[in-house]
Amino acid sequence: MSVEIQEIVESAGVNLPNLFDFSSFGLLWKEGLLLYLYQEESCPPSLTQEVVKNMVRVFSALGEEQIDVDRVTVQVEKRKLRPKQMTMDPKATLKSHLTLPLAVEGDIMGCISLNSDQSNAFDAQDLQFFSVIGYQMAATLKHFQRFSSIQNIAIYDTLTDLYNRRYFEERLALEAQKSFYGGTSLSLVMVDIDHFKKVNDTFGHTEGDKVLCRISSLLKASVRKKDTVARYGGEEFFLILPEAGLEESFIIAERIRHLVENTSFDVGQAEINLTVSSGISNFPVHRASSKEELVKMADLALYDAKRGGRNRVCIYNVNQKK
Amino acid sequence: MASVINENKKGKWSGDLLLELYSNLLVEIWEIVSALIGETILELLFTLAIRRIGDKYPFLVSLKVSEDGVSLEGVKEACRGLPPLEVHRGFQSLITHLFHLFSTLAEGVISRELFPKVFQKVREAERIISQK
Repeated sequence: MSVEIQEIVESAGVNLPNLFDFSSFGLLWKEGLLLYLYQEESCPPSLTQEVVKNMVRVFSALGEEQIDVDRVTVQVEKRKLRPKQMTMDPKATLKSHLTLPLAVEGDIMGCISLNSDQSNAFDAQDLQFFSVIGYQMAATLKHFQRFSSIQNIAIYDTLTDLYNRRYFEERLALEAQKSFYGGTSLSLVMVDIDHFKKVNDTFGHTEGDKVLCRISSLLKASVRKKDTVARYGGEEFFLILPEAGLEESFIIAERIRHLVENTSFDVGQAEINLTVSSGISNFPVHRASSKEELVKMADLALYDAKRGGRNRVCIYNVNQKK
Repeated sequence: MASVINENKKGKWSGDLLLELYSNLLVEIWEIVSALIGETILELLFTLAIRRIGDKYPFLVSLKVSEDGVSLEGVKEACRGLPPLEVHRGFQSLITHLFHLFSTLAEGVISRELFPKVFQKVREAERIISQK
């Protein structure tokens, strides 16, 4: 969402100087408390601070909730808004502003503000124009927000917040293509919680869901930034590890196995211990010719781990029947 | 007993006048300010102000606000039995808070348009109350 807001602010920043004479234009967005400022290049930092404080003050008054300025993340874009000879006084202060809430369907999503170092810089006509601009911005941002939440529903697993199977398939296709054509390494780790059915049968599905969420967090915490963790279905998970050889992916899978084994899970009134089994496949080591084959190989390796007594990590054995 | 009836009659008379006056005043504020900032934002500001001031003057909560404007339809019933001075103070606080919100947003831009028209009506309300 922050990218879309930034685009809107930049587009407004380019067009607003044709309509108003201002030193700084700001957009404060409630979600994540982000404040984007588009300012005259020569705008002194003291004025920037005043603008930030003023926008937070106005927004607090509208939201009827005091917001701490320190909680706001400020991003400043400086551009030449005035002719070269008209640089701002380094001691310039905020003398006037127009601030309007970004409101859609009764929700205050943030506010926009035009600011000036001149007294009485804005009149009624400016306010009329600015409010029309504010409506359009609010509607556009609301649209982006809806799109973004639909996008989230489409790619995330609602229970665990991990990527869902659909996203996993898409991501794997992309990573496999990169590896197959680029000749880089790609590892796939399939993880399954051992005897998970027992947890559900003994403690109920609600407690079982809590376990799934906890293990999902452990998985997310154990991988690198460029890796993808997805819930494949039930108690099965996949890790896509780009540019990871067998050794590195084995270390990651072992780290997860060890972490789960040493974690106590609260289920109802009880504390239980669980284990996971994992299977690893790798391109180019296992000579998979498609992403489906890579998945199948990881699955077979996982089967090996289960058959070998669980709580272990197995690497696909090329002599195994596919 | 007779004096109580008189007071009630007198009170009701002042109250009705006040309601009519404030009804006109709020409509006027709506017309002027909606032309400047639009109905959606104004509805939001009215709702905020009513919620804030309604804590102290609950009869104000029955004011109906929508993008079409502000209506005092339910207020008459809510004001029944209230001293006119209380009604006057409630509306006065509401208008003061609205002015505060307007000036928070746009400093003097809205107030400059609004003040000359509103000020006279507030004075008129004060005159009605002082006559009582």
